[in-house]
Amino acid sequence: MSHPLLEVRGLSIRFGGLVAVAEVDLTLNHSEVVCIIGPNGAGKSTLFNLISGIYRPTHGSMKLEGKDITGWPAHRIAAAGIARTFQSSRLFNDLTLLDNVLIGMHTRTKSGVFDALLRPATARAELEAAAVRAGELLHAVSPQLHARRHTLAGALPQADRRRLEIVRALASEPRVIMLDEPSSGMDDRDTDGLMADVRRVMAERPGLSFLIIEHDMRLVAALPDRVAVIDYGRKIADGDFSQVRLMPRVQEAYLGQKAAHHA
Amino acid sequence: MSQTGIQVEAPVERSGTSLDASIVVAVELGSAVLLGAFLLSEQTAIVVLLLAVMGAIFGLLQWRPAFEERIVAAFHDQQQLAIALGAVIVMVYPFFMQGSSYALHLLIVAQLYAVLALALNFQLGSANIPNFATGASYGIGAYTSALLAINFGVSFWLTLPVAAVVATIFGFLLGFPSMRTKDSYLALVTIAFGIVVHQLLNNFSWTGGANGLVGIPAPSLFGHSFTRPIEVLGFRLPSQANFYYLSAALVGLSIIAARRLHNSRVGLAWNALRADPLAARCQGIDIVWYKMLAFGVDAFLAAFAGTIYAFYVSYISPDNFTFLVSVTIMTMVIVGGMDNTLGVIIGAFLLTMLPEKLRIFSDYRLLFVGVVVILFLILRPQGLFPQRARNYGAHR
Repeated sequence: MSHPLLEVRGLSIRFGGLVAVAEVDLTLNHSEVVCIIGPNGAGKSTLFNLISGIYRPTHGSMKLEGKDITGWPAHRIAAAGIARTFQSSRLFNDLTLLDNVLIGMHTRTKSGVFDALLRPATARAELEAAAVRAGELLHAVSPQLHARRHTLAGALPQADRRRLEIVRALASEPRVIMLDEPSSGMDDRDTDGLMADVRRVMAERPGLSFLIIEHDMRLVAALPDRVAVIDYGRKIADGDFSQVRLMPRVQEAYLGQKAAHHA
Repeated sequence: MSQTGIQVEAPVERSGTSLDASIVVAVELGSAVLLGAFLLSEQTAIVVLLLAVMGAIFGLLQWRPAFEERIVAAFHDQQQLAIALGAVIVMVYPFFMQGSSYALHLLIVAQLYAVLALALNFQLGSANIPNFATGASYGIGAYTSALLAINFGVSFWLTLPVAAVVATIFGFLLGFPSMRTKDSYLALVTIAFGIVVHQLLNNFSWTGGANGLVGIPAPSLFGHSFTRPIEVLGFRLPSQANFYYLSAALVGLSIIAARRLHNSRVGLAWNALRADPLAARCQGIDIVWYKMLAFGVDAFLAAFAGTIYAFYVSYISPDNFTFLVSVTIMTMVIVGGMDNTLGVIIGAFLLTMLPEKLRIFSDYRLLFVGVVVILFLILRPQGLFPQRARNYGAHR
């Protein structure tokens, strides 16, 4: 493991005259949790969209375990091992929980249209086996979700929607999972549950790393190994939370210049 | 057209296989008798009465979902019986049509439309791609096979796959400019494609222009020409029965294809694309490829229907494949129920037969068709038979 798991160098994107993300360097090692924090509109979600291939970077490079994945389309990046959730959870609402997780396994299954039509037994067997694995994944994260696996995802309450998104991300057997504000809309108890989920999932899967955008400082203080701070599209700090929180630039970004001086 | 409402299978208490079996038999025979009465009735009053009965049935299913769940559960447990009985009903159905070639003609057209609606369902129902060019693919299939048969004397059976391949290539070609568009814009691209195809067929000299192609030779199988009546055990079925069985076989094939694709990784990917294209991409789904694939599958099946239609009527013209045909097919899918094989077929039958049986209203018949469609959509807003959740393993 000579290469870091994910290595982002000088990543930038410009929308017309607006530079949304500028020259961001970010390194994620194996079995590491890194939180990305920053004020609203700082470019955190844009950074996620760049890494997951939804946007193409204007400059910069991205490497996953030493392999250049810069400019790859989203589906290839997902297949390469970067899974993600969304700020406003984007589940397939009109499908069952099990189907949602099965779709997460898209890159780990391979039956195509000809298999489905001409070799239905093989295609069916693959899907049934995947359904068993999907059931196990659901059960491991939450027996309650597992019990509801044949109901529609659209009917789930908010905390369970996040959970299901994480299970769907896990289903692709990723090496990096990116969570975009996983605790938003959760109370403290749900957030504790979320942190416990992340720790357990990491313990069960050596090498898996998390990149998390978060606003809940309780989570940011407790969960990650490192914290990166983004402001106006640039990374202004990177390191241990206890140190990063004391940096004047970080305080300015959050509180404004004046308040930071009085703090 | 964005999000289809779906009913989920609720656990239903099972009470014995014999009851299940009798429910299956009663539903299938009842539907067959209802359809037969509808086809053979001459009097408008009876047609309207039968429509009211159908409306009442769907109203009842909407009002008391437990009935529907019970029926679905019965069909689940007695799947083999349901398929076997269904096949037998389809086989013997022409014998109960009192030799009426008109009833058989309606059945053939309804079955061809059922295939077209199933084809479009891969796009509209599964993947929410509003393709208004199914009529064009249908036409490309019909013209390809007719031209091959007339100019080169190619046998019907050989033109079937050739026409399907040609239409699929055109389907992919249509998928190409559609890649970067979605929703209303995508619909516009497909409308334009349909109009271009219609105009080309109308203006090329080698397609016969507006006059179309005449004298498409009838197919034959094992020396039996499809223009001759079928005589079995002293019964004599009109020559239309040949094409009835042919199109029934095509419907059967389409149902198998639809079910296999729906219950596969491909069907799941299409459903993901329908629900949320961005989230689908992030699950590793190449949405461009899956969109094009849906266009290809749609065109493939539509071309089969087109080929059978061309050889059945032996005369085709560009006006058989207008934009209006595509809109009709789309209405069938929406009224029948998105992404539900049975619903789509019933939608096709209903919308094929209604205008014919309401002929008595002469100039107002299309108005009546519209009213009936609206009434059914009020009774069953998600289509006659909405999409159902998939089943895996022990839950089957």
